[in-house]
Amino acid sequence: MGAAVDHVTPMGMSGGSAEGNDKSEGQRFSCKSKLTALVVDNGGVCRAIQTALLRSYGVETEAVETGEAAVELIASGATFSLIIIEMLLSFMNGPETAKQIRAMGAQSKILGITAFFDERDQQEFLAAGADNFIEKPLSPEIVIPIINELDN
Amino acid sequence: MDVMTQLQRQWREHTAYLRKEGYLDDQFEQLQKLQDENSPDFVAEVVSIFFDDSEKLLNNMAGALEQKVVDFKQVDAHVHQFKGSSASIGAMRVKNLCIEFRNHCEAQSLEECVRCLRKLRYEYSLLKNQLEYLFKLEQQIRAAVV
Repeated sequence: MGAAVDHVTPMGMSGGSAEGNDKSEGQRFSCKSKLTALVVDNGGVCRAIQTALLRSYGVETEAVETGEAAVELIASGATFSLIIIEMLLSFMNGPETAKQIRAMGAQSKILGITAFFDERDQQEFLAAGADNFIEKPLSPEIVIPIINELDN
Repeated sequence: MDVMTQLQRQWREHTAYLRKEGYLDDQFEQLQKLQDENSPDFVAEVVSIFFDDSEKLLNNMAGALEQKVVDFKQVDAHVHQFKGSSASIGAMRVKNLCIEFRNHCEAQSLEECVRCLRKLRYEYSLLKNQLEYLFKLEQQIRAAVV
Protein backbone atom coordinates (compact mmCIF):
# COMPACT_ATOMS: atom_id res chain seq x y z
CA MET A 1 0.00 0.00 0.00
CA GLY A 2 2.66 2.54 0.98
CA ALA A 3 2.17 6.27 1.21
CA ALA A 4 3.07 8.10 -1.98
CA VAL A 5 6.13 9.95 -0.86
CA ASP A 6 6.27 13.14 -2.86
CA HIS A 7 9.80 14.26 -3.58
CA VAL A 8 8.82 17.69 -2.37
CA THR A 9 7.79 16.41 1.04
CA PRO A 10 10.56 17.25 3.48
CA MET A 11 11.17 14.96 6.43
CA GLY A 12 14.23 13.24 4.96
CA MET A 13 12.06 10.31 4.06
CA SER A 14 14.47 9.22 1.35
CA GLY A 15 15.58 6.42 3.62
CA GLY A 16 12.11 4.98 3.89
CA SER A 17 9.43 4.16 1.37
CA ALA A 18 10.98 5.28 -1.90
CA GLU A 19 7.86 5.14 -4.00
CA GLY A 20 7.93 8.15 -6.31
CA ASN A 21 11.04 9.48 -4.57
CA ASP A 22 12.94 11.28 -7.28
CA LYS A 23 16.55 10.84 -6.25
CA SER A 24 17.85 12.34 -9.48
CA GLU A 25 16.93 15.71 -8.04
CA GLY A 26 19.03 14.88 -5.02
CA GLN A 27 22.18 14.23 -7.07
CA ARG A 28 23.94 17.19 -5.60
CA PHE A 29 26.62 19.10 -7.48
CA SER A 30 29.77 19.30 -5.37
CA CYS A 31 33.02 21.22 -5.58
CA LYS A 32 36.12 19.29 -6.70
CA SER A 33 38.85 21.03 -4.74
CA LYS A 34 38.87 22.18 -1.14
CA LEU A 35 37.00 25.46 -1.26
CA THR A 36 36.29 27.81 1.61
CA ALA A 37 33.87 30.68 1.89
CA LEU A 38 33.01 33.52 4.22
CA VAL A 39 29.54 35.03 4.44
CA VAL A 40 29.35 38.57 5.79
CA ASP A 41 25.78 39.59 6.60
CA ASN A 42 24.06 41.35 9.50
CA GLY A 43 20.89 39.29 9.02
CA GLY A 44 20.62 35.86 10.63
CA VAL A 45 18.32 34.49 7.97
CA CYS A 46 20.66 35.35 5.13
CA ARG A 47 23.69 34.07 7.01
CA ALA A 48 21.95 30.76 7.66
CA ILE A 49 20.68 30.27 4.13
CA GLN A 50 23.81 31.35 2.28
CA THR A 51 25.97 29.21 4.56
CA ALA A 52 23.74 26.16 4.07
CA LEU A 53 23.67 26.61 0.31
CA LEU A 54 27.45 26.82 0.03
CA ARG A 55 27.97 23.90 2.41
CA SER A 56 25.56 21.78 0.37
CA TYR A 57 28.11 22.05 -2.45
CA GLY A 58 30.94 20.96 -0.20
CA VAL A 59 32.29 24.45 0.40
CA GLU A 60 33.63 24.92 3.94
CA THR A 61 31.76 28.02 5.01
CA GLU A 62 31.87 30.44 7.92
CA ALA A 63 29.64 33.42 8.60
CA VAL A 64 30.17 36.70 10.43
CA GLU A 65 27.86 39.58 11.20
CA THR A 66 30.00 42.61 10.48
CA GLY A 67 32.60 43.88 8.03
CA GLU A 68 34.88 44.48 11.01
CA ALA A 69 34.68 40.82 12.01
CA ALA A 70 35.47 39.75 8.46
CA VAL A 71 38.50 42.02 8.30
CA GLU A 72 39.70 40.77 11.68
CA LEU A 73 39.35 37.15 10.58
CA ILE A 74 41.40 37.73 7.46
CA ALA A 75 43.94 39.83 9.29
CA SER A 76 44.46 36.88 11.62
CA GLY A 77 45.48 34.77 8.64
CA ALA A 78 42.29 33.08 7.50
CA THR A 79 41.96 32.74 3.74
CA PHE A 80 38.85 32.10 1.72
CA SER A 81 38.20 31.10 -1.87
CA LEU A 82 35.00 33.12 -1.86
CA ILE A 83 33.71 35.99 0.26
CA ILE A 84 30.08 37.09 0.02
CA ILE A 85 29.45 40.54 1.46
CA GLU A 86 26.13 42.27 2.01
CA MET A 87 26.00 45.90 0.83
CA LEU A 88 24.32 47.43 3.87
CA LEU A 89 26.05 46.12 6.95
CA SER A 90 25.51 47.51 10.45
CA PHE A 91 28.74 49.48 10.76
CA MET A 92 31.38 49.50 8.04
CA ASN A 93 29.49 48.90 4.80
CA GLY A 94 30.07 46.21 2.17
CA PRO A 95 32.29 48.15 -0.23
CA GLU A 96 34.47 49.49 2.60
CA THR A 97 34.84 45.94 3.87
CA ALA A 98 35.84 44.73 0.41
CA LYS A 99 38.33 47.57 0.12
CA GLN A 100 40.01 46.66 3.39
CA ILE A 101 40.08 42.99 2.50
CA ARG A 102 41.73 43.75 -0.83
CA ALA A 103 44.18 46.11 0.88
CA MET A 104 45.38 43.13 2.92
CA GLY A 105 46.24 41.35 -0.29
CA ALA A 106 43.41 38.82 -0.25
CA GLN A 107 42.97 37.12 -3.62
CA SER A 108 39.53 35.73 -2.78
CA LYS A 109 36.67 36.03 -5.19
CA ILE A 110 34.45 38.71 -3.67
CA LEU A 111 30.74 38.72 -4.39
CA GLY A 112 28.78 41.77 -3.32
CA ILE A 113 25.16 41.02 -2.51
CA THR A 114 22.19 43.23 -1.68
CA ALA A 115 18.47 43.27 -1.04
CA PHE A 116 17.81 46.05 -3.56
CA PHE A 117 19.94 46.14 -6.68
CA ASP A 118 21.22 49.64 -7.32
CA GLU A 119 23.68 50.69 -10.01
CA ARG A 120 25.48 53.17 -7.79
CA ASP A 121 25.97 50.45 -5.16
CA GLN A 122 27.23 48.14 -7.89
CA GLN A 123 29.78 50.70 -9.05
CA GLU A 124 30.90 51.36 -5.50
CA PHE A 125 31.33 47.66 -4.75
CA LEU A 126 33.19 46.88 -7.95
CA ALA A 127 35.45 49.89 -7.51
CA ALA A 128 36.20 48.60 -4.02
CA GLY A 129 37.43 45.32 -5.45
CA ALA A 130 34.40 43.06 -5.65
CA ASP A 131 34.24 40.77 -8.67
CA ASN A 132 30.52 40.72 -8.95
CA PHE A 133 27.35 42.23 -7.46
CA ILE A 134 23.97 40.55 -7.27
CA GLU A 135 20.55 40.88 -5.70
CA LYS A 136 19.37 38.38 -3.06
CA PRO A 137 18.52 35.56 -2.88
CA LEU A 138 21.77 33.71 -3.47
CA SER A 139 20.83 30.95 -5.90
CA PRO A 140 22.37 27.77 -7.33
CA GLU A 141 22.45 29.54 -10.72
CA ILE A 142 24.87 32.06 -9.23
CA VAL A 143 26.87 29.74 -6.99
CA ILE A 144 27.52 26.78 -9.27
CA PRO A 145 29.36 28.75 -11.99
CA ILE A 146 31.45 30.45 -9.31
CA ILE A 147 32.40 27.11 -7.81
CA ASN A 148 33.27 25.75 -11.26
CA GLU A 149 35.48 28.78 -11.83
CA LEU A 150 37.23 28.37 -8.49
CA ASP A 151 37.70 24.65 -9.04
CA ASN A 152 39.67 25.34 -12.25
CA MET B 1 -6.62 6.30 3.50
CA ASP B 2 -4.36 6.03 6.51
CA VAL B 3 -3.53 8.97 8.74
CA MET B 4 -0.05 9.38 7.30
CA THR B 5 -1.27 9.57 3.70
CA GLN B 6 -3.96 12.02 4.70
CA LEU B 7 -1.48 14.25 6.51
CA GLN B 8 0.95 14.18 3.63
CA ARG B 9 -1.82 15.13 1.25
CA GLN B 10 -2.82 18.00 3.51
CA TRP B 11 0.81 19.12 3.58
CA ARG B 12 1.09 19.01 -0.21
CA GLU B 13 -2.20 20.83 -0.65
CA HIS B 14 -1.27 23.50 1.85
CA THR B 15 2.12 24.07 0.25
CA ALA B 16 0.45 24.31 -3.16
CA TYR B 17 -2.05 26.77 -1.74
CA LEU B 18 0.70 28.96 -0.29
CA ARG B 19 2.46 28.98 -3.65
CA LYS B 20 -0.74 29.70 -5.58
CA GLU B 21 -1.74 32.57 -3.28
CA GLY B 22 1.72 34.05 -3.58
CA TYR B 23 2.68 33.70 0.06
CA LEU B 24 5.70 31.71 -1.04
CA ASP B 25 7.68 31.52 -4.26
CA ASP B 26 10.29 29.18 -5.76
CA GLN B 27 12.90 30.25 -3.25
CA PHE B 28 11.04 28.37 -0.51
CA GLU B 29 11.51 25.20 -2.51
CA GLN B 30 15.25 25.94 -2.61
CA LEU B 31 15.17 26.00 1.17
CA GLN B 32 13.41 22.64 1.28
CA LYS B 33 16.12 21.19 -0.95
CA LEU B 34 18.69 22.17 1.67
CA GLN B 35 16.91 20.03 4.26
CA ASP B 36 18.23 16.49 4.49
CA GLU B 37 19.25 13.80 6.96
CA ASN B 38 22.14 15.97 8.17
CA SER B 39 19.89 18.97 8.81
CA PRO B 40 16.39 17.53 9.17
CA ASP B 41 14.97 20.68 10.75
CA PHE B 42 16.66 23.21 8.51
CA VAL B 43 13.55 24.89 7.14
CA ALA B 44 11.85 25.21 10.52
CA GLU B 45 15.06 26.56 12.05
CA VAL B 46 15.57 29.19 9.39
CA VAL B 47 11.92 30.20 9.51
CA SER B 48 12.21 30.51 13.28
CA ILE B 49 15.13 32.91 12.84
CA PHE B 50 13.04 34.73 10.25
CA PHE B 51 10.18 35.15 12.74
CA ASP B 52 12.49 36.53 15.42
CA ASP B 53 14.32 38.87 13.07
CA SER B 54 11.11 40.06 11.42
CA GLU B 55 9.49 40.99 14.68
CA LYS B 56 12.57 42.97 15.68
CA LEU B 57 12.71 44.72 12.33
CA LEU B 58 9.01 45.60 12.38
CA ASN B 59 9.39 47.07 15.86
CA ASN B 60 12.50 48.97 14.80
CA MET B 61 10.65 50.40 11.81
CA ALA B 62 7.78 51.49 14.04
CA GLY B 63 10.19 53.10 16.48
CA ALA B 64 12.03 54.93 13.73
CA LEU B 65 8.76 56.27 12.31
CA GLU B 66 7.70 57.55 15.72
CA GLN B 67 10.70 59.83 16.12
CA LYS B 68 10.06 63.58 16.12
CA VAL B 69 12.43 63.89 13.21
CA VAL B 70 12.17 60.72 11.19
CA ASP B 71 15.42 59.34 9.85
CA PHE B 72 14.19 57.77 6.62
CA LYS B 73 17.60 56.32 5.91
CA GLN B 74 17.32 54.36 9.14
CA VAL B 75 13.84 53.14 8.24
CA ASP B 76 15.16 52.19 4.81
CA ALA B 77 17.97 50.18 6.38
CA HIS B 78 15.43 48.07 8.28
CA VAL B 79 13.33 47.64 5.13
CA HIS B 80 16.47 46.62 3.29
CA GLN B 81 17.17 43.89 5.78
CA PHE B 82 13.57 42.73 5.77
CA LYS B 83 13.51 42.53 2.00
CA GLY B 84 16.73 40.55 2.05
CA SER B 85 15.47 38.00 4.53
CA SER B 86 12.00 37.65 3.02
CA ALA B 87 13.45 37.24 -0.47
CA SER B 88 15.84 34.63 0.88
CA ILE B 89 13.13 32.44 2.37
CA GLY B 90 10.75 32.96 -0.53
CA ALA B 91 8.18 35.10 1.30
CA MET B 92 6.96 36.78 -1.85
CA ARG B 93 4.12 38.95 -0.61
CA VAL B 94 6.18 40.30 2.27
CA LYS B 95 9.07 40.93 -0.09
CA ASN B 96 6.89 42.87 -2.50
CA LEU B 97 5.57 45.07 0.28
CA CYS B 98 9.16 45.87 1.21
CA ILE B 99 9.71 47.09 -2.33
CA GLU B 100 6.69 49.38 -1.96
CA PHE B 101 7.89 50.50 1.46
CA ARG B 102 11.26 51.46 0.11
CA ASN B 103 9.68 53.78 -2.44
CA HIS B 104 7.90 55.59 0.38
CA CYS B 105 11.17 55.89 2.31
CA GLU B 106 12.85 57.39 -0.73
CA ALA B 107 9.97 59.83 -1.15
CA GLN B 108 10.27 60.54 2.59
CA SER B 109 6.53 60.25 2.92
CA LEU B 110 5.74 59.58 6.58
CA GLU B 111 2.05 58.89 6.06
CA GLU B 112 2.71 56.35 3.32
CA CYS B 113 5.43 54.70 5.36
CA VAL B 114 3.13 54.31 8.34
CA ARG B 115 0.39 52.89 6.14
CA CYS B 116 2.82 50.53 4.48
CA LEU B 117 4.18 49.34 7.81
CA ARG B 118 0.66 48.48 8.88
CA LYS B 119 0.17 46.43 5.68
CA LEU B 120 3.54 44.79 6.20
CA ARG B 121 2.73 43.77 9.77
CA TYR B 122 -0.54 42.31 8.60
CA GLU B 123 0.98 40.42 5.68
CA TYR B 124 3.74 39.11 7.90
CA SER B 125 1.28 37.82 10.50
CA LEU B 126 -0.71 36.04 7.78
CA LEU B 127 2.47 34.37 6.56
CA LYS B 128 3.47 33.43 10.08
CA ASN B 129 0.14 31.71 10.68
CA GLN B 130 0.37 29.84 7.39
CA LEU B 131 3.90 28.62 8.03
CA GLU B 132 3.12 27.62 11.60
CA TYR B 133 0.25 25.51 10.27
CA LEU B 134 2.60 23.91 7.74
CA PHE B 135 5.12 23.03 10.44
CA LYS B 136 2.37 21.65 12.64
CA LEU B 137 1.43 19.26 9.83
CA GLU B 138 5.07 18.25 9.54
CA GLN B 139 5.23 17.51 13.24
CA GLN B 140 2.13 15.36 12.95
CA ILE B 141 3.63 13.51 10.01
CA ARG B 142 6.79 12.83 11.98
CA ALA B 143 4.73 11.63 14.92
CA ALA B 144 2.74 9.34 12.63
CA VAL B 145 5.96 7.65 11.46
CA VAL B 146 6.89 6.57 14.97
